[in-house]
Amino acid sequence: MRRFAWRFLAAASLISLAWRAAAESRPHYGGTLVVELHDSLTLTDPGEWPLRLVPLVYDGLVRLDDRGEPQPALAISWQHDASNKRWEFHLRPHAMFHDGSPVTAAAVVACLKDWTNVAAAGDGTLVFQAETPAPDLPVRLASARGAILMRGADGATIGTGPFRITEWQPGKRALLGAYEGYWGGRPFVDFVDVHMGRAYRDQAIDLELGKADLVEIPIGDARRTAQQAVRTWTTVPSELLALLFERGHGVTEDAHLREAVALSIDRSAIRNVLLQGQGDSTGAILPGWLSGYAFLFPSARDLDRARQIASALPKPALRISLAYDLADSLSRPVAERIALNAREAGVTIQTAPGAQATVRLVKYPLRSLDPAQVLAEMGGVLHADSQPGAATPEALLAYERKLLEDFRLVPLFYLPEVYGLSSRVRNWDPQPWGDWRLDDVWLEARTP
Amino acid sequence: MTFRTRLLLMFGVTILASVAMVVWIVSRSTERAFGRLDQQRTAALAEQFYKEFERRGGEIAAAADRIAKSDATMHIAIDASRGEVAPHVADAADLATAHALDFLELVAPDTSIVSSAQSQARFGYKEAWLAEPVDWNSQPAFLRREELPDEFVLALEAVRVTAAGDAQLYVVAGRRLDQTFLASLVLPAGMRALLYRNLDPTFSPQLLTGVSTDEAQGLESLIKQCIRENRETSAEIQWTSDAASAETFHAIPQKGHDGHPLAVLLIGSSQRELATLVRSIRKVGLYVGGAGALLALALAAWATARVTRPVKLLAAGAAEVARGNWQVRVETDSRDEIGDLARAFNQMTGELSDQRERLVQAERVAAWRELARRLAHELKNPLFPLQITVENLDRAKREHPAQFEEVFRESTATLLAELSNLKAIIGRFSDFAKMPTPQFEPMQLNDLVRAVLKLVDAQLIAAGNIHPEAHLDPSLPSIEADREQIKRALQNLVLNALDAMPNGGTLRLTTRQYNSTVILEVADSGQGLTQEECARLFTPYYTTKHHGTGLGLAIVQSVVSDHHGTISVESQPGRGATFRIELPIIQATRA
Repeated sequence: MRRFAWRFLAAASLISLAWRAAAESRPHYGGTLVVELHDSLTLTDPGEWPLRLVPLVYDGLVRLDDRGEPQPALAISWQHDASNKRWEFHLRPHAMFHDGSPVTAAAVVACLKDWTNVAAAGDGTLVFQAETPAPDLPVRLASARGAILMRGADGATIGTGPFRITEWQPGKRALLGAYEGYWGGRPFVDFVDVHMGRAYRDQAIDLELGKADLVEIPIGDARRTAQQAVRTWTTVPSELLALLFERGHGVTEDAHLREAVALSIDRSAIRNVLLQGQGDSTGAILPGWLSGYAFLFPSARDLDRARQIASALPKPALRISLAYDLADSLSRPVAERIALNAREAGVTIQTAPGAQATVRLVKYPLRSLDPAQVLAEMGGVLHADSQPGAATPEALLAYERKLLEDFRLVPLFYLPEVYGLSSRVRNWDPQPWGDWRLDDVWLEARTP
Repeated sequence: MTFRTRLLLMFGVTILASVAMVVWIVSRSTERAFGRLDQQRTAALAEQFYKEFERRGGEIAAAADRIAKSDATMHIAIDASRGEVAPHVADAADLATAHALDFLELVAPDTSIVSSAQSQARFGYKEAWLAEPVDWNSQPAFLRREELPDEFVLALEAVRVTAAGDAQLYVVAGRRLDQTFLASLVLPAGMRALLYRNLDPTFSPQLLTGVSTDEAQGLESLIKQCIRENRETSAEIQWTSDAASAETFHAIPQKGHDGHPLAVLLIGSSQRELATLVRSIRKVGLYVGGAGALLALALAAWATARVTRPVKLLAAGAAEVARGNWQVRVETDSRDEIGDLARAFNQMTGELSDQRERLVQAERVAAWRELARRLAHELKNPLFPLQITVENLDRAKREHPAQFEEVFRESTATLLAELSNLKAIIGRFSDFAKMPTPQFEPMQLNDLVRAVLKLVDAQLIAAGNIHPEAHLDPSLPSIEADREQIKRALQNLVLNALDAMPNGGTLRLTTRQYNSTVILEVADSGQGLTQEECARLFTPYYTTKHHGTGLGLAIVQSVVSDHHGTISVESQPGRGATFRIELPIIQATRA
């Protein structure tokens, strides 16, 4: 009897432990996911947000899957005519904004008023009538520009995403609460607590101490962090690091000088050492995984040619200043390396933090997966006198060549984003290019 | 300038010069003493600098040594030997932070940088100087020009070599050398230490620590000289017009590993204390000199009064003697040289007086003798015929009574003629003796000249070949004179001139005004006079003529003298003679 009792107790204990273990590894609701960001967001406008944050609060008519293919979101289906000029989108029924108002065709049209020729065709249908064929319209609608939102009485934005803005402290903190009425189902976590303006070092410490669940890691620290057995996740290279020669400065108005600088840069050494092998060296605006033709833009160093060009320039023209972002720990060594490389070619570059310089080391995060849209935005930056024509690879390649031919913009690298994750974050499955999908993430209970 | 004034000046200048010399000697001695003190303080400060330099260099070398021997560095050396440098690109920064270093570079054996704390971007670039054949592990810290991304800085660095098997790694550790380094020095009051970092080919004020641009530019030439000559130099720099602002700077070159001056240590020593002291000395000297000068003046006045009183008496006596008073005596009871001089003076004037008396007597005797000789000569000529005539009368009476009557008549006529001659001679002597006192009254000299020319007109006509000329100043003022006496004197001179021209010539009479006098000149073109004759011409009874009494010119001189005038003669043999009379316009007795 006693033996039986002991066996029973042992079996019961084992079953209990197994049940608890199974319960901890199963998705469950609750908890607050603490996210720390280096940047400070001052507005709730999705156009001002990093691409990865937009899907937390805002939905578009469509979203992109892991392969970049459009998938239903607020629109459950769409079709187009043979010319790809007329598109019909059918809205998801019963979808609601965070204030409980229904997502109607009128509300969506009001939100997309900047888009050309969009109109409501009944409560649940939208019609886009383009003047030229727009085969990539669903992809463009999946960008931040296609986020559906409405304005409240106080002017605050109201989205339809899995989380709604519960508390907003501009530049400091955003508390996002799980939206019970989300059409895709309530997120597992109750809150996403976003702390902004956090230094990378502080983020690393908070992750180590368990005060944060999702932090950003500088690329230069990615390898070392991974060696320290910290859980990391890296996006595909999605942020362009480039040199931008400002207009209106007499020194840098000489395209030969810009070309000499561009040819002197040893991207390979910078990538291998300063970037710790992360990212891709590039001579193109669009990343290779997005355009498919980035390899056509040379990025290899040609010091002899750079010296040859520089030697033909007047000496006073060979002194320029290069500004870098002091808050970005990677920018400074990259800028200094570029200065060292340029000095070898005979061009003196004075590096300094800030934005006032003849040349700037700038970062352009990928805000859209639509190549034409990315190039159009870059054309705006470079004051191009035309827009990309057709969205064909040939047209995009020609347009990109035109943008880069005067060396006003010198693409250097496409950088990935690296995140550190706490061990309790489960079901972390973001898009490869960085869109966070926190509605499916759940948190393990903290062990005492 | 009087003798007393000279003595006063001499006393004053002597005392002032003495005080000035004392002040100068004291000032110079003070300056030399300060200079020695300044050198000692500079040497002490330089020694302190070098000790601090050595101490900090030791710290850096120790830190480099620790880093070189650490396991982490050995791992880096091994990875670098395999070409795996990327993981360690930021390691130098961590190590530098851990060891409180400003600069740290980990360099591969081929001198390519593996990791640089000061410039992470410099990986792969060469530090070729490390390839020199030097035993770095035994080398102390040294100065080096460290390249940063945007500037060059001065660094105190040490090199150590890590060896992990075959793998090697240079550890170049350093700290910045700037004003903070100098701040650790204990500076004596009035001294300061500056450091010029010789990092640019040209002088740059910004590279001199702790001073304004103006001060840096003031030190530019000294720094340049120190760098150019690569040896210690010094100079005094006065910052403002105030001498107390001056500073003496010693520039000491600080050489790098290759002997090139990478920095200049400037030790400045304020001259304010010295200037203040010298100023005080000079002020005291000025006061002492001023007081001394006043005292000197008082003493000199007293002393010179004692010394110069007999001299002044002597001078006054001499002036009296000059005025003709040879009876003057200088009273003195002094027994010194001045007393001797006074006694000698008294003796001299006594002797002079005696000699003059004797001379007067001798002249008087001589005059009487001359007078007697002239009288005898003048009287002897008429007396001899008188004697002959009387003897003829006596002989005729005794031997030829019959002819006595005839002889008597003839003799009587002869006697009367000779007696008349005697009477005339006696009359001239009487006239000279009886020169009356002149009666001054206004008269026109030109009128007198014309009147005299008229009087001698007959003689001129008789002579025939003498041409009179009158050059009379029409603006000649009237003078106060005795017309008759002046007329007589002028007539005398004119007749002498006519006598001097037996063969004819030109008689020229000239009048003109000269200051408060009028001048009357009587010139002839006769045979002229010798110098001896000119000298003796106015001596009474001296004559150059066969029939003259020698009283004419003496009378003229007497008249001129009585009119308080002067007479002189200019003549050369064969060129005539010019007598010049100068008479006062107004007689002094009436003025």
